[in-house]
Amino acid sequence: MVNEIKKVAVLGANGNMGSLSGGIFAQAGIPCLFFARTIEKAQRGIENAVMQARSDVLREYIVPKTYEDLAKELPGCDWILEAVAEELPLKREFFKKIDEKRKKGSIVSTISSSLSIADMAAECSEDFKSHFSGVHFFNPPGKLLANELIFHPDNSKELRVFIDQFCEKALRRVNVVTCDKPGFAGNRIGFQFLNEAAIHAQTRGVETIDYLLGPHTGRTLPPLATIDLVGLDVHQEVVNNIYSHTNDESHDSFKLPRYVQTMVERKMLGRKSAASGGFYRITEKKDKLALTPSNLDYTKMAGVKDRLIEEIKLSIHDGTYKNAVDIIKRETSEEIQLVKLFTLRYVSYSFARVGDVTEPDEGIHGIDKVMSYGFSWLPPSAWVDLFGGPKETMRLMEKSAVPVPKHLKDAPEKTLCRIPEVTKYLIAYN
Amino acid sequence: MKNRVYILGGYQTDFSRNWSKEGKGIQALISETMEGAFSEMKIDPKEIQVLHVGNFAAELYAMQAHLGALAMSYYPALWGIPTARHEAACASGSIAAMAARTEIEAGIYDVAMVLGVELMKSVDSKTGGNYLGTAAWYEKECKGVEFPFPKLFDRLYDLYDELYGLSYDHLAHIAAINYDNAKRNPKSQTRDWYMNKQHACGGGEYNKTIGTRLRASDCSQVTDGAAALFLASHTYTESYARRHGLDMAAIPYIMGWGHTTAPLRFEDKAKEAKKGGYVLPHTRKAIQDAFQRAGKRIEDVSCIETHDCFSITEYAAIEHFGLTNPGEGWKAVENGMITLNGNCPINPSGGLIGGGHPVGATGVRQLLDAYLQVANKAGDYQVPDTKCAATLNIGGSATTNVVHIVGRGH
Repeated sequence: MVNEIKKVAVLGANGNMGSLSGGIFAQAGIPCLFFARTIEKAQRGIENAVMQARSDVLREYIVPKTYEDLAKELPGCDWILEAVAEELPLKREFFKKIDEKRKKGSIVSTISSSLSIADMAAECSEDFKSHFSGVHFFNPPGKLLANELIFHPDNSKELRVFIDQFCEKALRRVNVVTCDKPGFAGNRIGFQFLNEAAIHAQTRGVETIDYLLGPHTGRTLPPLATIDLVGLDVHQEVVNNIYSHTNDESHDSFKLPRYVQTMVERKMLGRKSAASGGFYRITEKKDKLALTPSNLDYTKMAGVKDRLIEEIKLSIHDGTYKNAVDIIKRETSEEIQLVKLFTLRYVSYSFARVGDVTEPDEGIHGIDKVMSYGFSWLPPSAWVDLFGGPKETMRLMEKSAVPVPKHLKDAPEKTLCRIPEVTKYLIAYN
Repeated sequence: MKNRVYILGGYQTDFSRNWSKEGKGIQALISETMEGAFSEMKIDPKEIQVLHVGNFAAELYAMQAHLGALAMSYYPALWGIPTARHEAACASGSIAAMAARTEIEAGIYDVAMVLGVELMKSVDSKTGGNYLGTAAWYEKECKGVEFPFPKLFDRLYDLYDELYGLSYDHLAHIAAINYDNAKRNPKSQTRDWYMNKQHACGGGEYNKTIGTRLRASDCSQVTDGAAALFLASHTYTESYARRHGLDMAAIPYIMGWGHTTAPLRFEDKAKEAKKGGYVLPHTRKAIQDAFQRAGKRIEDVSCIETHDCFSITEYAAIEHFGLTNPGEGWKAVENGMITLNGNCPINPSGGLIGGGHPVGATGVRQLLDAYLQVANKAGDYQVPDTKCAATLNIGGSATTNVVHIVGRGH
C-alpha cells in the first residue's frame, strides 16, 4: 500500500463531480492529472476546479490529459479517482484498463453514488480489489464537506485508516463510513424524502408541497426544487436503483411516480433543461410557473400562504426556535399535519437505517453528519432534541402512526445531536 | 487582588454563517449567542447584574438601535438590569468590555455579560463598504469613495513604504499565516477556503487589488457574528469556582488594559508618523499602558490576538507590541516568530483575516480567545503553556486603540 499521495489521476475529469472532486485533491497541494476524452474537455474540468477554489494557483497543480495517456501516466499515480458516467459496463471497462496499468498498492476510488462497490470491482485483480473503495463527495464538494467512505470487503484495516485519515486531514472532509447498499446513507435517506414529496405533489400540488416543506423545515431548498436542481433523470436513476435493490418499511415511497417518469421521457429534467422545465419553469419574462402533475402543464405560482407556516417562519427569523417547533408539535391543521408527518418520517427512517447503511457503533451520528454536511438538512437527531428528546419524539411518532425505530427506543434521554450550531439549517426564507 | 476582574469564559458563533441567508434578524444572532454563553459556562441568566453590548452600526445594517434593551428582551430573568450599547467602530466590543471591567473594579457589580455583535451580510458589499466609511471621518475621507477602508489602509502601507520600505511579500505572508491558523479554528469564517501564500502573492481575477495596493487576500472578512463573555469580581469568581470545582489560580483575569484615541483623520496620523519613532504612537501608548498596568513585558506574553483588519495593520502591530524595533516588523515575519509554532504567535485563531470580522463583536471575540488560550481551552489552535496573552483592538484607521493583557495565577 502507498503511504503518501504524491500524484493523483482523475478519470472523467470533464464531468462536474469529477472536476470538482479532483479539484479538492489539487487544493491539498497534490499534483493531479485530469483525464478526459480530449484535452479541451480536460481543460474545461480544470477551469471548473479553479472556479470552485476561486484561485488561479490551482492551475499549477493540474495537468490535462487524454485517455490515450493512461498507459503512460497511471503507473506514476498513487491515487486513481474514477468519475466516469454512472454506467456499470463503462466503469468496468475503465477499471480493466486501470487494473492493467496501475502500480501495485496504489489506491483506486470511485465517486459513484449508487452502484455497488463490490460489483464494480468484480472482474478485477485481487490487488485492485484490496485497494478499491468508494469515496463519495457531495455536490459541490467545495461547500459540502460530507464524504461517504464505502470500503470493499478486501480492503485492509491499514488502508481503511489511511483513507479515512487522508480524507479528513488533507482533503478536509467529514467522513462517514457507510455500507455498500444502494444510495449508501445520504441518498437513501435524502431521496426517500424527496420522492415522497413528489408522490404527495400529485394530490397537494407542487407549489403547496414545496411551501409546506420549505427551508423552515430544516433544509436549504424545498424538496421539489431540490429535484429540479439535481435533475429529474438523476432522481429517477437513484430512486429506481434503491427501489429495485432494497425492501424496507418505506419501500413504496421509493416508487417513482408515473408523472415523473413521463417528465423524464419528455426531457423535462429541471434546471438542466431550462426551456422544458421541471417542477418549475421560468418564462422568458422571468415569471415562475409551477407544474401541474396531472397534465404536466404549468400555471403561474398562486402565492400559497398559511398562517401557521408563516408563524413558524417568523419564529425562526426571530431566533425563537422553540416556538417554531412547538407549532409543529401542537397544531393539528391539515398543513401542519403534513409537515409533522414528513418530519417524523424523516427522523424515523433515519434512525431505522442505523446499522443498515452506516456502522452501528457510530449510532445516529454518522447519518447526522451526512444529512447536515452532505445535504444541508437539519440532522435527524437535532429534530429529536428540538422535539424534547427521544421519549417525546416517540410519543409524537405513535400519535402520527409513524414507525418507532429501535435505535430511537434505545437512545438515552439526553441531547443527542453532536453537530454544532444546527440552527443554521432552520431557514426562514423560501 | 480583591479587585481583580476575572473572565469566566463565553461563547462565539460560527463566523462562517450567513444569518441573512438563513432569513434571521440581529435578534436571532444575539439570542443564540447569549443562550450559547449561558449554557456553555453554566451561568444562570438571573445572576447577571449588568449587560454591555458592543456594536458598530446595527442602525445601518439591520435598522435596529437600542441593542442593550433588545439583547435582554429574550430573557425575562434579565429584565430590569442596567444595559448599554457602546460604539467605537471596530473597537466597540473592547469598549463594552472596558465599561463592564470598570464597573466591577469599582465594586458596583459582581458579574457582567459583555456581548459584541454585528450583522453585516444584510447588505451588498458596496453598501457595506460605504457604511464602514463612517468609522473614519466620513465627509472628509469617505464620501463618494468606493470601498474607502482598504484605501485608507493603503495609505498606511504607503507610509511604511516611505518611512522604512516594505515588501508586499511580507504582507502576503502575514495573510497566509492567518488563513492557515484559521483552518484549525472550528468557528473561523475561512476554515474551508482555499488560501495560501502562493494565492496571496498572486493577483488575477480571484485576488484583485481593492484600492491601490492591498489585495482581497489582505483584507479581513465581511462577517455576521457575535461573541459573549462573562466578567466577574473576585467574590463572584470564588463562588463560581467552588460550584464548578475550579482552581482560582487557573481562571484567567484581566491583568492590564490600555486605551487611547488618535485623531480621526488619517492625514493627521500621517503627519504625526513623519515626526519619527513609531508610525502609530497612540497605538504604541495603549500597548505600553496595558503592560504597565499588568506589570508585564512583551517577553511575558505567549501569544497575541491582534487587529488585522488588513495585513498591514498586523504588520504595524508587530513593532508596536515591541516584538521588533520600529520599521523592522519584517524580521518577525521572516524568522517565523509570529507563526503558530513561533516564539510569539500572532492570531492563533486566524484573526480578522482568517477568523472573520463582525465589527462590533471583534473586541469581545479577541478577549474570549485570550481567555481560551490562558485557560488552555483553545483546542487545535492552542499555544502551549500560555500564561499570558495580549489583545489589540483598533477602531477606524488606527484611531481608537484598546489593549488587554489576560493572564492567570495567584
